Amino acid sequence: MGFITPALSKPNGYKTIRLWHFVGAVLFALLNSPAYGEESFSVSNISTHLHDQVYLLDADIDFRFSDEALKALDSGVPLTISLEIQVQRNRTYWLDEDVAELEQRYQIFYHALSGQFLVQNQNSSATQIYPSLEATLFNLGHVRDLPLLDEKLIDPEEKYELELRVRLDIEALPAPLRPFAYVSEEWRLASDWYTWSLTH
Amino acid sequence: MVLNTLKRLTSGPKPVIIAGMLLLASLYLMSAATRNSALFGQLYSLLLVINILAAILLLALILRQLFRLIQQYRQQVAGSRLTTRLVIMFLVLALTPASVVYYFSLEFLHRNIDSWFDVRVEQALEDSLALGRTSLEDQLRTSLQKTRTLATELTDTPDGAIAIKLNELRQRGRAAELILLNVHGRVIASSSVDQTQIVPSLPNQALLQQIRQGLDYARLEPVDDQHLQLRIAVPIPLPSGEDRLLHAIYPIAERLSKLANSVQYSFSQYKELAFLQNPLKQSFSLTLSLVLMLSLLTAVWAAFSAAHRLMRPISDLAEGTRAVAAGDYDKRLPLPGRDELGFLVRSFNEMTRKISLSRDQAEYSQHQLEAQHAYLETVLGRLSSGVITIDTHGILHTANAAAGHILEFMPEQAIGKTLSELAEQYASLEPFSTAIEQSLLGESSEWRAEVSLSGASGRQILMCRASRLPGEDPVPGGQVIVFDDITALVQAQRDAAWGEVARRLAHEIKNPLTPIQLSAERLRHKYLDKMNSEDAKVLDSATHTIVQQVEAMKEMVNSFAEYARSPSMNNASLNMNALVREVVELYRNSVRQLQVNLELDDNLPMIEADDVYLRQLLHNLIKNSLEAGDKKETVSLTITTRTRTRHKEGNQFIELQLEDNGPGFPEDILEKIFDPYVTTKTKGTGLGMSIVKKIIEEHGGELWVQNTPGAQVTIQLPLKETPRGKEDATPGGHKVSLKSKTA
Repeated sequence: MGFITPALSKPNGYKTIRLWHFVGAVLFALLNSPAYGEESFSVSNISTHLHDQVYLLDADIDFRFSDEALKALDSGVPLTISLEIQVQRNRTYWLDEDVAELEQRYQIFYHALSGQFLVQNQNSSATQIYPSLEATLFNLGHVRDLPLLDEKLIDPEEKYELELRVRLDIEALPAPLRPFAYVSEEWRLASDWYTWSLTH
Repeated sequence: MVLNTLKRLTSGPKPVIIAGMLLLASLYLMSAATRNSALFGQLYSLLLVINILAAILLLALILRQLFRLIQQYRQQVAGSRLTTRLVIMFLVLALTPASVVYYFSLEFLHRNIDSWFDVRVEQALEDSLALGRTSLEDQLRTSLQKTRTLATELTDTPDGAIAIKLNELRQRGRAAELILLNVHGRVIASSSVDQTQIVPSLPNQALLQQIRQGLDYARLEPVDDQHLQLRIAVPIPLPSGEDRLLHAIYPIAERLSKLANSVQYSFSQYKELAFLQNPLKQSFSLTLSLVLMLSLLTAVWAAFSAAHRLMRPISDLAEGTRAVAAGDYDKRLPLPGRDELGFLVRSFNEMTRKISLSRDQAEYSQHQLEAQHAYLETVLGRLSSGVITIDTHGILHTANAAAGHILEFMPEQAIGKTLSELAEQYASLEPFSTAIEQSLLGESSEWRAEVSLSGASGRQILMCRASRLPGEDPVPGGQVIVFDDITALVQAQRDAAWGEVARRLAHEIKNPLTPIQLSAERLRHKYLDKMNSEDAKVLDSATHTIVQQVEAMKEMVNSFAEYARSPSMNNASLNMNALVREVVELYRNSVRQLQVNLELDDNLPMIEADDVYLRQLLHNLIKNSLEAGDKKETVSLTITTRTRTRHKEGNQFIELQLEDNGPGFPEDILEKIFDPYVTTKTKGTGLGMSIVKKIIEEHGGELWVQNTPGAQVTIQLPLKETPRGKEDATPGGHKVSLKSKTA
């Protein structure tokens, strides 16, 4: 560890310029609301159905990770995917009321020894192992029968709206990566908010 | 209110120290977070934002200070230049070492991070991983083979005995778990080492998918951080067509598991770190930059504060000095402390206090002096005597109103001039100035003199008394001269003396005259007839002469008596022009060699006067002119009347002036022309001019004579009433010339 490999050192000027760019970008990002860039994750086929007095969610998520994110995953950096769901009761003359909020978090980790991908559901700590990234993402995106909320919370007379978003949790990244992740397009991976009505 | 509270809370050293410590703590936490410490890792973004916000806040504070300083610099507020210099000095002092340290720290940081990564270490880790993988793959292959063998044994086993067979096979194969399932994942039978585990760890969809395709499944799986296991599944083709699969889990020896996991962990960590190499560098650089920036900004802000704090007493002093220069001695400066500046400010306050005190005293003295001066001026102004002071060079320094009045000059214009200059300007002052200049040459400290002046208003007699002023040794301090116009007094004394003489003469002489006359007449009456004609002739002549001379003497004595007697005035409104015309008319018809020119002012106002006396006055004066002239020559007499205003008092009077072309008054008697018994004529009592003067004085007027070279008599009679028209009639406003023709 006591000597330097020439291949890894870079000219200083380059770093300094990038640093100032970064500081400028951080300021910019802080002053502006963090609007996510073009959609990198997308959700389709969202539906809810009632089963045993529990509303269950089905959805298909298409994860399009950036090269940088894939490289990080490959390098052993765990990525955390957050599935955010909000249930709101529509009110005519007032703002909608938040009925329930649900966040499902999945951490993807590459296990180099076995060459497999581990997906840990952070809500339940259950771990799934997939032999390839494709299998991982397919299974992760193939949401079936995700328990949403109890029927008791729902008034059948009222109208309910659900919102769903999938995003990469930047705060779960290693600290040194975070500031850059906040300002980099490659790391701001998220879907739009998808809205649909609850069918009773 | 809120702003004030905020200001109070944010000012002073305590909040600054607290804020500085908080900032330091947050910087420390951020640096700890960058090192990926679990404790602060979660706070990293928040800390970053806080620190950036702190930097922005500091920047805003500094910009505000800078803006204020620039504004003050432009307005040239006291102390702004020095503050600017101090701030620049502080900045240079703080920036230079900080920049050097920053540069080298950055350099060192990057090299240090780079030095973490080594090709050989990476290679060694990869090799370890490969070694581990190879070793485990061998086990995997063996286990797969074993599982296939077990599966073939299961092919023939009837369904009823499967559970027992499975248990036996598991024990034989040293598997942790054996499960027989159909291809859809439904469990047919299972056997597990852990008897408490009721639900077996079921295979996932990917595994089933692979089996359905007729392929074996053999994978190494991490159980937790410490343990690994092998998951193997093989299809069991059945003649009935309903394929099954045997799913087995084999544990890996604990030691091998641990070692393999350790390799996996190290490799993973190294890879992650390698991936994070640039972000780490940038993060550290960012932290370092933030630390430096915050330190620098704090230093700059502190520089501003320190400069302000240092400069406040100095700018106060500058302000105070300016105020003192502008005459405000009541300015007191706030004390900055007990240091040298404090001493300076205290001295300044003490100085202004003393200056203020002495100024007040000076003002008081000045006031006193002015009061005394004013008092003296008033006293001098009210004095009827003229008072002047001159220095040793004869320059006039003081002259009171009475002096101006007596000497007929304006004191304001005369002050500062020498007496000789004044004498040149006002010719009548020459005897006065000569007398004083002579006295200046003398040594005596006091002198007295009677000085006679002949001015526009006639002859003036001044009684002067002078004394030397004490001067600063050895320069003598000039003189103060007090003088009175004693003309009237002298004249009055003279008049009184003559009145007395006349009265006595009348009394003493008149008494024996009648017996003399009677005696002479008796002599004549008794002896004229008895004498021979020759003697009688002598007697007749002698007595005649006696009687005649006694008559003449009587007449003379009567004249004296008349002079001595106080006339009783009978004043009435009188037109002077008419009177003059009337009197002149008498002479025009009777006296041939007299030519009278009348220059009369038509606008002459009426005066209050006794026409009998004024008529006598005119007769006397005209007669004088006639008698003075050569008998053969024609006497030309010009009579002028006009209105005049005495410029000082504003009093108006009419002036009557008679001027002939005769030889004028003899110089030797000019001074005492108005005294009785002064005459140049062979005939006459010598009382004519005396009576003229007496009449004028009775009317409250003035008269004087001078030679031009003919005799000129000027009479001024005061106006008691407001004249017609207010215009200040100039001499000879409208002239009427009357010429009496000589026959």
